[in-house]
Amino acid sequence: MSTHLKHDEDFDLYALGALEGEEKSALESHVASCSDCARKLAEARGRISLLAFSAPPVEPSPGVKERLMRQLHATAEGRSQGRASVEAERATRFFGPQSTRRWSLVFAPAAAILAFAAIFLWTENARLQSELVTLRAAADQQKSQANQAREILHVAQATDTVVVALKKMPGSPDGDAKVSYNAKMGKLVYDGWIEPAPADKCYQLWLVPMQGDPINAGVFTPSKGKTEMWMATVPQGMPAKMFAVTLEPAGGMPHPTGPKIFVGGVS
Amino acid sequence: MSLQTGSQSNFSDAALMERVVDRDETALAALYDRYAGMLSSVLNRILRDTQAAEEILQDIFYQLWRTATDFDSSRGSLPGWLAVIARHRAISRLRRHRPEQGEELLENTIVMPFNLETAVAQQELLGRVKQALDGLPKEQRSTLELAYFEGLTHSEIAERTGDPLGTVKTRLRTAVETLKRKLQP
Repeated sequence: MSTHLKHDEDFDLYALGALEGEEKSALESHVASCSDCARKLAEARGRISLLAFSAPPVEPSPGVKERLMRQLHATAEGRSQGRASVEAERATRFFGPQSTRRWSLVFAPAAAILAFAAIFLWTENARLQSELVTLRAAADQQKSQANQAREILHVAQATDTVVVALKKMPGSPDGDAKVSYNAKMGKLVYDGWIEPAPADKCYQLWLVPMQGDPINAGVFTPSKGKTEMWMATVPQGMPAKMFAVTLEPAGGMPHPTGPKIFVGGVS
Repeated sequence: MSLQTGSQSNFSDAALMERVVDRDETALAALYDRYAGMLSSVLNRILRDTQAAEEILQDIFYQLWRTATDFDSSRGSLPGWLAVIARHRAISRLRRHRPEQGEELLENTIVMPFNLETAVAQQELLGRVKQALDGLPKEQRSTLELAYFEGLTHSEIAERTGDPLGTVKTRLRTAVETLKRKLQP
């Protein structure tokens, strides 16, 4: 067995994909023959995967789930059709060359009627299943919206929630917005409207704490003339100095880089 | 028998995966509700392209459906595996590599020191990760982000930033040391 690695951090660097060349191949060959180090690598993979949580939150559109569920149904229907073909082939093998013309004349019309009925029922079943998936997706979406509305109300009604009006910076697009922030809950609610961001850009809300760097509180791309309200989660117990909305590249940035559009100080 | 989607939120990942193996679509929908937000965030951060991110997101869950029998929960954490494969696929797309199937990643054991099965647990962890990263010096953080979100190796980071290779290695090693210390369960 090759010697153990000098530094345990090498497992994290490998999981990160930063190692290369001999460093990488030495680790791979050692891990292949050392169960202790294989366990350390598994722990490092888990630890590095937590960095996914540092990405600015972006919720997928409801259409993704709907398409996924349709895809599952399409696969299931494909399997059903496959099974039906196998059964049909078996039936052909059984009745085909061996059966007499007389039996064919008797059963052919009945078989045709049954086949039409089966096709109709199968088509109807597929249509109903598709409708069911759509309805389920819509119900899930409504439930999620209702939950969020309840949470927003909870934040808005809390006595220790502060409301911060955001002021438009000179030369910025038109708009009007406010933030309701509850530090204890680690929740904030953005409520406002703003002109849509240019193509390949988005707006990003930041919580500027009393100490430390601004904290990302959400990326958004408003539609023209529409007021929107949404909630974001930030680290709990974080005293806020101010809130700001900046214009950033689409998808958002880990730190503010673009011009300030709205700013509001916490009094 | 299929359970109602709404009642699935209290089931563990392992229990939901057993139902996915039994072809219970509501179980897959519950896992989607649980982890799609986290995956969408990391995919969008890497790709900066909503459409591409959503394509990969759908494909990851479809792969989970297709290969559910291969997933062994005793070998590791489902959210850990999902996060690893999302990052892997997004970086492959970003670098215009041939998209890999990712089934082979199922063989990787991933130990996740935290339970992420509830929204509250995810939010708490999100706060811890952000605090840990916010505590890093700017150079260390940006080096770590180049490695994680852009999939760059030590020498690629050095080439990108113009910093000496040794400096890049030291920054990244120090950053992962700090993370390891701050993200102890």
